Amino acid sequence: MRVRELGSRPAPVSIRELISRVVRGHGPAISVERREIPYWRERGWTYDGTNYTGSYQTPYAAFRGWIEERRSGSNFFLYSPSAQIKRHSHWVCFTPRGSDWYLVHMARRPKDVSSGILTIERLITEAYQK
Amino acid sequence: MKKLSVVVAGTGQIRDVEIQSGTTAGDILHQLNLGDYLLSKGPNEPFFAAAESVYDKVKDGEKIFASTKAEVGITVCA
Repeated sequence: MRVRELGSRPAPVSIRELISRVVRGHGPAISVERREIPYWRERGWTYDGTNYTGSYQTPYAAFRGWIEERRSGSNFFLYSPSAQIKRHSHWVCFTPRGSDWYLVHMARRPKDVSSGILTIERLITEAYQK
Repeated sequence: MKKLSVVVAGTGQIRDVEIQSGTTAGDILHQLNLGDYLLSKGPNEPFFAAAESVYDKVKDGEKIFASTKAEVGITVCA
């Protein structure tokens, strides 16, 4: 059977790009350096030389917080705790400090603020999972 | 064998380790000289107990956290 060529037209752009990529092969791999930063900074907290300001973040809720550094250790504050936190067995460890700010009392103080933030975020998560 | 990146929360330093089946959280902390720390997969996960095998609970290449021991509470509620 004879074939008659009626004409030609360019392939669609998407097909041409695909073929071009196959012909070119993969480009050189880009090495991405991992960041080695403290947890508090990774979570977006800021430090003004005395206090840390940021938020305790969990999949359930986030709460404003600040941390004051003292020679005796850090004090952790949380703003406007939710009903879930108030129902947690550790609610008695939250001391009101006015304007809806609460001091979170640590029976065992963390050695760094990052560990304290992790501890409070874990408590918030627990409060929402119960 | 699985590779793990242990992030020391306070400094952000990352320590790469390779663990075998049956390796416990205590083994990792001891190896890394982080005796006063606890391991967890993050703030939304519980801490690994020192004698708990970590191998089955982590994925190859996963990042886990080492943070110092802390507890919210007062004497009567800790």
